[in-house]
Amino acid sequence: MTSVQFDGAWLEGEGRLTPEELRTATFPLSRLGRRGYEEEPVRKFLGVVHAEFVRVLNERASLWQEVQRLRRRILAGEGGADPQAVLFGEADAHVHAVRILSTAQATADRYVADAQAYSSRVTKEARLRRDHILQEAQQHSEVILSDAHDRAREAAVTALNHPTPPRSDREWQAAQAELAYLRTYSDVYRAHLRAYTEGVLRGIEEWERKEAASFQEAPDGHADQWSIGP
Amino acid sequence: MDVARLRESFARVAMHGDELPLFFYSDLFIKHPEVRDLFPVSMAAQRGHLVDALVKIVSQVDSVDDLTLFLQGLGRDHRKFGAVAGHYDAVGASLLATLAHFSGPAWTPELAADWTAAYELVASVMTEAAHADEELRPASWRGKVVTCERRAFDVSVLFVRPESKMDYLPGQSVAIETPMRPKLWRYYSMANAPRPDGLLEFHIRLIDGGAVSMALTSDAIAGTELRLGPPAGVLTLKQPVSGRDLLLVAGSTGLAPLKAILDQVSGLPQPPNVRLFFGARTADGLYDLDSLEKMAAQCPWLTVTPVVSADTRFAGETGSLPEVVARHGDWPGYDAYLAGPTEMVQETVSRLAAAGMAQEHIHIEDFGWSEP
Repeated sequence: MTSVQFDGAWLEGEGRLTPEELRTATFPLSRLGRRGYEEEPVRKFLGVVHAEFVRVLNERASLWQEVQRLRRRILAGEGGADPQAVLFGEADAHVHAVRILSTAQATADRYVADAQAYSSRVTKEARLRRDHILQEAQQHSEVILSDAHDRAREAAVTALNHPTPPRSDREWQAAQAELAYLRTYSDVYRAHLRAYTEGVLRGIEEWERKEAASFQEAPDGHADQWSIGP
Repeated sequence: MDVARLRESFARVAMHGDELPLFFYSDLFIKHPEVRDLFPVSMAAQRGHLVDALVKIVSQVDSVDDLTLFLQGLGRDHRKFGAVAGHYDAVGASLLATLAHFSGPAWTPELAADWTAAYELVASVMTEAAHADEELRPASWRGKVVTCERRAFDVSVLFVRPESKMDYLPGQSVAIETPMRPKLWRYYSMANAPRPDGLLEFHIRLIDGGAVSMALTSDAIAGTELRLGPPAGVLTLKQPVSGRDLLLVAGSTGLAPLKAILDQVSGLPQPPNVRLFFGARTADGLYDLDSLEKMAAQCPWLTVTPVVSADTRFAGETGSLPEVVARHGDWPGYDAYLAGPTEMVQETVSRLAAAGMAQEHIHIEDFGWSEP
């Protein structure tokens, strides 16, 4: 068997993990400037090893129980009873039922845990995305503001450099034109800023709605209380 | 009862790990199907709790005083789950069957007698404590969500009206179960001192993947009927008339118990000086700052300092909450009450201790009585 590169792709299609694969496992190297393996593939790999380990332990427990059952039967047979008649007695039936229910419960637990992990990931991504949107909006508004400041300063400097009132109709008209221009400019800026802010708000609302919708579908988790019985 | 033999036998069966509680609950549910309804869908956490409790009982079975306290708490705690005296026999029988099953040939009549005696002791302490508790208060309260205010994208404030008046100390909390997540209980602190109309305020923060917090912060929660367990917790005002000033340090929804204490203090004839630090990652996480500042404007003895840790543009104090609190002085003459994320609370405790504040003046919640 060739060695396996645990880079995520392997996890998609393969069957059970073999000891040989474990012995020769390799991981993708991390980016330059960072030591060691990439964290995510190692985590996934540990998840696979864990699941396999649980499966092996459960199989072992089942086999062990079957051995116990057969041993009891043999002992009972030696005691004189007809071994055929008690190969699968009432007590065995109960243990068998317990095993079936245990398997069903463990499967249900797995589903709940998977669903919870999924919802956790979705919420976390939503949170990050929201932070990102807000940060972008903040930066954009800073750019708009500083641009407006620069232009206003320019306008003021121009006005200072020409402090005397306009002396001719021609100059008067030019000043009027510039004033109108600045007014229009500020209107345009305000509209621009408003449209952008509203767009961002809509984006956040949309995101919140999706978030809320995903909570409604969210599954149950685990209890947090001590409990040894009902 | 042979304690050494008991421990040795437990060590042997405990090797089977999760198989042990899995077998126990399956055995119990097959013999008594009606008991299944007392438990949540997923039993994974439940099995962990069972094993933890068994480990604690077996390791402390010969130090009766500690164990008794633990079991009394466990007995009282189980009332809200719907446990009644009759269930204890069923649990005992399944426990014995489980131990016998995993002990195999090592299961002897003597061992069976040891375990029976040990379980009878456990069950009697638990049922007696539960019985004594019945005289004092109901197993749980029904409470209707009157309003649900969304204060930040991940924080909601709930106002709940319990069916009958609930006595508690400001700073305490109750376990809450919502019909949307049956049999899952989570602890939340009341954010107000007991009021004549009985209304309770809760601050709920959405935890990533948190089943109960998701349900409690959803818009559909208004009008639903929750179940509330009995009040518990030790983060309460120790000496309301000691004359010492108060330092309250709240991280995020850790504000709730401290706001209840603040509510209590404001009712005193001569309130001490109170310095409240309220911290969050970003400014919009300071979900209750408006009402706190309104209160501070009316109360000369109260100073509120908002702190933001992850946004340097914030106009007020920025930095980690423990660091900002330490920056403001050594707090001689103050009693400190801290609540919030565990790391934040621990860090604040060590900074205050380093500044010379005595342990007896630093108050935090002790979650030993139950898991948070």
